[in-house]
Amino acid sequence: MELRARLLRTATSRPGVLLAVCPGAARARLAMERELRSRGWPQVGSPASANLLVIVGDPDPADAEWIDGLWLGIPAPKARVRVREAEDVPSALDEGRASLLVRGKRPEGDAGHVDETHGEGDNHGTTPEHAENNDTHGGHGNHGDDSDSSHHQHGEHDGHDTHDSHSGPDTHSEHDGHGGHDGHGEHDGHGGHGGHGGHGGHGGHGGHGGHGGHDMHAMSVAGLPMADRADDRDGLRLDRLHVPLGPALPDWPAGLVLRLALQGDVVQRAAVEQVPVLPSARRPFWNEPWLRASTGEAVARGLAARRLCAAHLDSLWRYLAVVGWGGAAARARAARDQALAGESSGEVLAAVRPLIRRVQRSRTLRWLTAGLGVLPSDRAASAGVSGPALVAGGDAYDRVGVWLDEVGRAAAAFDDDGWLDAATELSGPRGRVDGGVPPSRALLDVLPGLLEGAEFACARIIVASLDPDLDELVPALRPEVVHG
Amino acid sequence: MDTSDWQPVLLLLVLISAGLVLLYVIGAALSVEREPLCDVPPFSGGLGPEEHPFSRFHVRWYPVTMVFLAFDMEMLFMYPWTKVVGEVGTSAVVEMFLFLGILLAGVGYAWREGAFRWS
Amino acid sequence: MAETTPLWAVAVLPFVLVLVALGTAHFDALLAADPAANPGREVLRLLVQQRRRTNAADELLTRLGVVLLPVAAVLAAVVLPLGFRSVSDLADGIVWFNAMEALAWAAVWLAGWGPNSTLSLIGGYRFLAQGLAYELPHMLAITTAALGAESLRVGDVVDAQSGLWFAVWMPAAFVIYLLSAMGMAFWGPFDQPVGRDVAGGAAAELSGVDRIVFLGGRWLLFVVAAAVSVPLFLGGGHGPLLPGWAWTLLKTAAVLALLVWVRRRVPGVRMERYVELAWVVLTPLAILQALVVALVVLNR
Repeated sequence: MELRARLLRTATSRPGVLLAVCPGAARARLAMERELRSRGWPQVGSPASANLLVIVGDPDPADAEWIDGLWLGIPAPKARVRVREAEDVPSALDEGRASLLVRGKRPEGDAGHVDETHGEGDNHGTTPEHAENNDTHGGHGNHGDDSDSSHHQHGEHDGHDTHDSHSGPDTHSEHDGHGGHDGHGEHDGHGGHGGHGGHGGHGGHGGHGGHGGHDMHAMSVAGLPMADRADDRDGLRLDRLHVPLGPALPDWPAGLVLRLALQGDVVQRAAVEQVPVLPSARRPFWNEPWLRASTGEAVARGLAARRLCAAHLDSLWRYLAVVGWGGAAARARAARDQALAGESSGEVLAAVRPLIRRVQRSRTLRWLTAGLGVLPSDRAASAGVSGPALVAGGDAYDRVGVWLDEVGRAAAAFDDDGWLDAATELSGPRGRVDGGVPPSRALLDVLPGLLEGAEFACARIIVASLDPDLDELVPALRPEVVHG
Repeated sequence: MDTSDWQPVLLLLVLISAGLVLLYVIGAALSVEREPLCDVPPFSGGLGPEEHPFSRFHVRWYPVTMVFLAFDMEMLFMYPWTKVVGEVGTSAVVEMFLFLGILLAGVGYAWREGAFRWS
Repeated sequence: MAETTPLWAVAVLPFVLVLVALGTAHFDALLAADPAANPGREVLRLLVQQRRRTNAADELLTRLGVVLLPVAAVLAAVVLPLGFRSVSDLADGIVWFNAMEALAWAAVWLAGWGPNSTLSLIGGYRFLAQGLAYELPHMLAITTAALGAESLRVGDVVDAQSGLWFAVWMPAAFVIYLLSAMGMAFWGPFDQPVGRDVAGGAAAELSGVDRIVFLGGRWLLFVVAAAVSVPLFLGGGHGPLLPGWAWTLLKTAAVLALLVWVRRRVPGVRMERYVELAWVVLTPLAILQALVVALVVLNR
């Protein structure tokens, strides 16, 4: 037994981490990515190869089905922790690793017996939740904000509640509420599927996405219907799959869910959704300097340039990872962390210039990404897009070109000590922040149109090239708190 | 062909199979949980699918498979052909490359019809 | 002519391949300066992991696909000479290598189809499209090498290069071969079937030993494919001063290092663009190369 324990200790010395990042948690995510990198813990792409599920941010406890889905898919040894604040990252990871060792030898129920799993899940949740309590207190120390703290506490309780109710039929009502946005017709579909519900949280999906009627007679195996056929663009009748994509895919905008209708690997239709989160008192991280300037605060241009540079490098590394260029992606990510860590213009430029040159000169990249997701300027403008996507007025390749230009320019301007002009310089990384709607809203609005007919890999590239930031869409907690 | 040539191949197959079985046994012995985790929802980002992903996949490169098949058959002739080029002489080369030329014309046609572009 | 090989070589071969694969993976991690990519630690991490089965999965097909990959890779390596000796220098060794390497088509597709998961399904089908693109130029390239030696026996191909390496006078075939070596092992720029954008594609749902066997099999296949370029194009064990086996190892290491470096420099190649290049440029080029070689063979 001693030997086993040692083996487990060695084997999980660098656990595979699956990140479940909620919108509004960019700062904590950045800290998490940096910490994982410095510890050398692999950041895995799917639950199958994960040991540790790290929830970053504040998921809405009433609708955290996706997190349970991820948790169910992780084989033992496994543990989950939640991180809210960037400062809590190291302790949360330590905590997670410790509970991996404690629970290494614990029987996990199968999804088939949801009740059992559920019991497990609850136990699993306990220790990390305690850790969170501590962390939250730490966080309060920083904020000293009462309304904020009460809300967090509340959130935690809810979290427990959801766990408890997970196995019950409540999951369905929860899901119904969620699906309701697709229109009420589907409700009947759901009703018809009540029987499937018994198969566990997942059976409830059946009636989604505008074909509830079909499912009523569709063949059902192991709790799910088989794919039904539908006309494709060439006039063939082919199987069509309805798949929710996201929110926890690797290199994917945090919190984005695409409801896809797929034929083979071609996207036939796409609908944008986002993961529900608790309202936050904090401004979206990437837009912060410009938002502050818009309220009349004096914000140094150098600071804004640094944030812009890091924001684009963040988008860029995700994009490069999606196109399968790991080497360049790692460089972009390292440069991002340099910019965020406050290194001088000279140092960041030295890191960024070779990267820009290499990406700009890559003919392979042009050959592979030209023509994907073409968004002409006029269409972009009429949709309200105002950032790089409007400037580029073209395909994914052009948009990345704009990022590269802006990264180079911003990296040279860290020492600009003028002030942002609240009237003219309110354009953040994804567009103007002073409009009525956040710039990423417009990006999400144009997204489905660009995805239709795209192959899966191309769809991922298109999403990465727009890189909507769902942090901008997190509901604000209270207007007066924002000012505090 | 000598049967003794194939002896090592067969032996190797047995050996790898045994090795793989051994690896699975070691895995079963060392893993913290011997029973597999069953009925996991397939991964697509956290939310489960609405239907079984088993489906008749829309294979849009279907025309390419047809062109490929033609060439694949051709390869059956080309392998033995490599051994006799020297003996048979010019006629072997002429015949083979005439054949390949015809197939290439087919490729050109398929290309013009857009068979190699599907997105 | 290859000398006879003692039977114990059969037992040694898989270990040598695994060692070389581990070494290559280490080098790859070193180049990436990513401490998380350590292959040894990753194997141990997966060894203690529970296995898993997705909802209504086809367990048999998945397992078959997973296991087939390393088996095909090692079996392909029987014709691989170390110096001038291979485990078994089959009379049609090149065809044998081709046949074994083509088993990867089945392996990846089965592993992708079996788990009943959208992303792994997409990964599996991606490899079929990839096969349609790389396989034909690849077969033409290896037949060109066979044509140069007028034999399908790998040992004869090596002997034919005692003077001039085939890579020198069949450069197009050599480059095409290297491209397809990466393609068949769905590795480097051709790793779309297990790409990160599909969360691991055909491997997305594999955990524990299954994952070790499948991804390890992929490394083995990559090493074998790269290593076969040495006897076919780089003169095998021929070289001055050093013994044959040393030359083989050196050349193999060089080819592996080159490919690992390429991986860092090039974005992932998607088949819906590459297929066109493969058929419209690479295939005619390979045929032209074969024609040149055939003319040389006629005139000697």
